Amino acid sequence: MGQQHLAGPVTVALVEDHQVVVDGVRSWFGQPGPVTLVAQGPTIESVRGVHADVLLLDLNLNGTMIVDRIGDLCEGGQRIIVFSEHEEPETVRAVLDAGASAFIGKGRATRESCVETILEVAADRPSVTPPMAQAIATDESPHRPQLSDQERLALLYWFQSMSKASVAARMGIKERTVRQYIDRARVKYAAAGRPAPTKEKLLICAIQDGLISPGEVDVYTSLAARPDR
Amino acid sequence: MTGDIEQVARRYARYTAIGAVVIAGVWHVGYDLTVTVTGWHDFRWPVLAAVAWVVYTAVGAVAAVALLRGAEPSTAGTGLLVAATLAVDVAVMLACHPRDLLGTIDWGWGSVGWVGVMLLWNRPRRRAELIAFLAANAGLMLAAMAVTGTFDRVSVAKYLVVVAGSITLQLGYSVGCHALRASAEDAALLARRLAADDAWRMSAQRIHADRLRRYAAIRDVAEDLLERLADGADPGDARVREECTAGALRLRRLITEREDVPDALVTALRERIDAAERRKVLVTVPPFGGTLPDLADRVREDLLRVPLQALDGARSRARVTVSAMSTMVSVAVVADNDDLPVSPAPVREASGVVITYQRQGGEVWVNSIWQAP
Repeated sequence: MGQQHLAGPVTVALVEDHQVVVDGVRSWFGQPGPVTLVAQGPTIESVRGVHADVLLLDLNLNGTMIVDRIGDLCEGGQRIIVFSEHEEPETVRAVLDAGASAFIGKGRATRESCVETILEVAADRPSVTPPMAQAIATDESPHRPQLSDQERLALLYWFQSMSKASVAARMGIKERTVRQYIDRARVKYAAAGRPAPTKEKLLICAIQDGLISPGEVDVYTSLAARPDR
Repeated sequence: MTGDIEQVARRYARYTAIGAVVIAGVWHVGYDLTVTVTGWHDFRWPVLAAVAWVVYTAVGAVAAVALLRGAEPSTAGTGLLVAATLAVDVAVMLACHPRDLLGTIDWGWGSVGWVGVMLLWNRPRRRAELIAFLAANAGLMLAAMAVTGTFDRVSVAKYLVVVAGSITLQLGYSVGCHALRASAEDAALLARRLAADDAWRMSAQRIHADRLRRYAAIRDVAEDLLERLADGADPGDARVREECTAGALRLRRLITEREDVPDALVTALRERIDAAERRKVLVTVPPFGGTLPDLADRVREDLLRVPLQALDGARSRARVTVSAMSTMVSVAVVADNDDLPVSPAPVREASGVVITYQRQGGEVWVNSIWQAP
């Protein structure tokens, strides 16, 4: 899904300070495949200057949390996926607010789910991993997006169940509709006053895919209204 | 213990106030009434002295009731009563012959200070107001002495003795009692702070002990595995790999789980997760996020019951998740549990918790959700 905008395999740069994880990720992206690892290093500086569609970023580098560096990294439009075991909802929200496109929890990551997320993000499509679903569903900040009950429930079940198919069975709807609820929640979340550099592309893709209509893109809140900006 | 000390502080405040009322009452009946009756014929206008005594009694009674209720008196009401008290002072002076101005029958000016003490007891600026009141009382007597020309040495000496004596007693009692009350309140505050420190220390100790226990458990797992690997266990062996995965999962949980808020729901879950891990079940536990609202015991029990049954019956793997908002808590377990009876329809408990079940592909998913009414 979502590769129609891209010519070749999606390129990924990995910032990770544990060799065992680097080796694991490298084995996931072995040739031939839809994703190619073009660079890796233990620090952000070690991959600077490398052009990659997606930057896969560990959140804890040499014992230091680097949430505050995500905003700068996203400035130039770089798509970032955080890859971390720090799946607390507040951490995930901080990461998404800083502009990251997605958050993959190390605890539950599989090759398939990781590749799927990378492909979705590279194509600027909404991607919602279970930790993101939990973080978006339980957001109680003043700038939280207005989610419908069905959207919130779909997010919550996606986090707590075994699969989207089981969510569909539980809610008595089609799996396609479950995806739609979850993706719409992600689009709303990205649009709700968050300064994500790839937000526009995400919205354009969401409109193209019929996920939302142009008239629905009015969830923007002025950045000046954010107390921390 | 804190409650007892706070009660002691409250008792200090109450008993010192009662003390002020008793002193004023005893003085007024024991001295003022006695000299009014025994000196009835020495008064110029004895009836005026009697009326002054009655007015003093009435004002004193109002002041005593307000004082014992502990309410802060209003400025207007207090002003009126203070004026009435000073009027009693003047009335008793007028009731006396000028020669008795500083005599024993002129009971008013030495006594009204006690009513002042009671009237101003609960006022925010009581000390300044009481000094002003006592100064006005002394000033009235000085004015009366000036009007009657009573400025001989003996009279001035008598005046000074009574002024000094009554002011020392009345002002001293008021200031002393309030200092005592302030000390008692400080002690109560300190006790409360110590109790909070104790609670924090005990909870920190509990957290620390729990952490050490888990470190030890994980060290045992890691040590045993490492020793076996060193002794030549085959890392390609499925069983060894499975045990390595279990050790890694527990390590990850140790790294990410938070311990600063010992919540009853989370504690209960962790105990059963530990138990499941001891049975060699691989348990995945994303960090318990969000702020758990205070839950009634009944709600917590209903939230946990079925997810814990699912966890207890897991054969080899389980995933435990908790999502919380201020108005919602959701606990879910996905496990390869073959025995858990599932209900096709959601089960609604009396506590408001809704439990849903689903069986799919060899796994059971149970989810209990509580939403604030």
